[in-house]
Amino acid sequence: MNFAATLRSTASVAKKEFLHILRDWRVLVLILSLPPAFTLLLGHAFENTASTDTPVVLRDSDQSEQSRALIDKLKADKTFAWREIAPETPGTINLLKAGVMMKVVIPPKWGESLHNGDPQPLQLTLDGIDTTTAPQLSGEVQQVLGQFQLDSRQAMIDNLPDEVFEMGKKIPEATRKEFVSAMSPWTVQSKILYNPNLKFIDFVMPGIVGLILQLLTVTLTACTIARERESGTLAQLLVSPLSRNQIVAGKVFPHLIVSILLIAATLATGHFHFHVEYRSPMLTGLLCLLFLLCSLGTGLLISAFCQTQTQAIQFAVFYLFPVFPLSGAFASLDQLPPGIRMLSQAFPLTHFCHAFRMVSMGQLGVSFVAGDLVFLAIGAVVTCFGAALLLRRIQD
Amino acid sequence: MPESVIVLENLAKSFGHTHAVDGVTMTIPAGEIFGFLGANGAGKTTTMRMLCGLTKPTAGHGSVLGHDIWKERNAIRPKFGYVAQKFSLYPDLTVLENLRFFGSAYQVSGQRLNDRIETLLDQLDLRAKSKELAGSLSGGMKQMLALSCALVHEPALLFLDEPTSGLDPVHRQQIWDLLYDLSSQGTTIFVTTHYMDEAERCTEVGFLHRGRLLAKESPLRLKQRFKGQLLEMQIEPPMEGLVRLRNVPGILGVALRSGRVRIYSAESERLVAEWQKAWPFEGLTWLGHSWAVPDMEDVFKAYSQGYSEILETTAS
Repeated sequence: MNFAATLRSTASVAKKEFLHILRDWRVLVLILSLPPAFTLLLGHAFENTASTDTPVVLRDSDQSEQSRALIDKLKADKTFAWREIAPETPGTINLLKAGVMMKVVIPPKWGESLHNGDPQPLQLTLDGIDTTTAPQLSGEVQQVLGQFQLDSRQAMIDNLPDEVFEMGKKIPEATRKEFVSAMSPWTVQSKILYNPNLKFIDFVMPGIVGLILQLLTVTLTACTIARERESGTLAQLLVSPLSRNQIVAGKVFPHLIVSILLIAATLATGHFHFHVEYRSPMLTGLLCLLFLLCSLGTGLLISAFCQTQTQAIQFAVFYLFPVFPLSGAFASLDQLPPGIRMLSQAFPLTHFCHAFRMVSMGQLGVSFVAGDLVFLAIGAVVTCFGAALLLRRIQD
Repeated sequence: MPESVIVLENLAKSFGHTHAVDGVTMTIPAGEIFGFLGANGAGKTTTMRMLCGLTKPTAGHGSVLGHDIWKERNAIRPKFGYVAQKFSLYPDLTVLENLRFFGSAYQVSGQRLNDRIETLLDQLDLRAKSKELAGSLSGGMKQMLALSCALVHEPALLFLDEPTSGLDPVHRQQIWDLLYDLSSQGTTIFVTTHYMDEAERCTEVGFLHRGRLLAKESPLRLKQRFKGQLLEMQIEPPMEGLVRLRNVPGILGVALRSGRVRIYSAESERLVAEWQKAWPFEGLTWLGHSWAVPDMEDVFKAYSQGYSEILETTAS
């Protein structure tokens, strides 16, 4: 068969596949509306990582000038939504029943203790069910308290009687400088590259794009061959002169076109709504294309392997599930132990997210993401040809 | 075109320890309407799938239109049409779209495809429905469409797997008329069926039982295989008669035909003589008896139940 005939045959399958997509208007509406809608939803959900308005309760058993001043500073912090209870309230508080994440108790005579050489700690009680929030809250209180200490130290220095300064002049200059240095807060000066405003949305954008597209492409194509097998049309295709490769290519092409439109819509939503900037359009485009081919191929592979659409959807879900937490779409891979981090390298989405961030945020060239591109290209070829091979195998 | 369109030599297919097709040898000449009979699970569909290159034979050889059915399956594909047992077209595509797709899948394109579609729409009465979705057609119309999709490339050979099952008599007649037309134009037709009146219409019938080909002859010759005629008893009440006669020693099987009990037995004459002396069935009234000429229904029953005692052994 010559090349033109091969192309014509592939095109006939592709045209038929387009008609299937167009005729199933429920799914069409779903695939057209979901990506932008999910991008908006997830984008806003992950816009800001810091907790805000976490309900906490406070009991001031000291009622001193210092405790009042500290409470004013704590209340200025947007992390917390305070609820103050009267110091004479008896008994302990059940955090869950009270609907709060943390209890802060300023012990009696706390203000006095700050000046008598034996500063008392604030009493925090934290809800540890959610493992990330508790340390975040205690750290936040610690930070406010540290600032409070610095302020009161500055006030103390400002109010020192002149005799102290006179006395100080008698101390040798070197010792005096050392004392001043020790008393000054030591700081870091940080310069943040690649994402200078630390916009979390910029970090999660490739994750959102990849996750939505992978979900749609895998589930859509997972059904295509399985549906034909279920309805008997696959046998009808297999007895025709169409080759297995033509069938697979004809099935990939229309879904590729649709998913390119979807990825464009998703990226546009990110850009125009969340002001995410993309750089190196050529390289990013190539990356998206390879990722889509890889996902479509995975769907087809599942499809060629399964006997029914129900099986195909179940396989797709079980394939897609571990990708959510392990691909680094929403959190850094560094949090994972080394063994599992190696497993996560088996997911196309992991490479897509990594390469997308390198190229678009890090503005690095092709050489830095060559590994990811090669992985995705191999994945695309292996899955598509694997699907064609499985089609051949089922005849036996 | 070769003289024999299909040549099978000891063709076999096993699934594990199950012998679905167990050494089938036969030849089917060009232009024949070959009816493939057998009970469900006899191996008819598996044989057809092997002939279409959908399943690899585990033993034996087969050739279709001069090509090996497995090694050269790609060369055979453009030359035959296949209508599967269940409706296997795209329900979400229109009649016309289905025809166009299968046309292009078989490399029929341009004006030739348009002409073919025009002809088929008229020939199979589909013109009024051409823009309707295939899924919305009635069962008969669906089958007409399946046939036209299988015929779009004008194949020399047509495989039909129970093409009329579940259809009303009008559509069955329509489909058979079409098969006769095709056959008269030289198309070889390989059809499986459960309907014995359809088996009568074939030029030759092959009888498959548990994967083995028990007979392959014209319907007339098959019917002549019976040793003599079949006893028909008129008994009151007929149902009870059917049940009680079934267990009489020497009777291989019984069937109810037009209210009479038809008896399959090599000793019918002896039994009648005995019963005339003494009727052993209390509660049953013997109203009379007659002798019936075997038909294809009887052939099917005798072969599928293995009543070898009343059949002549295969001559050829």
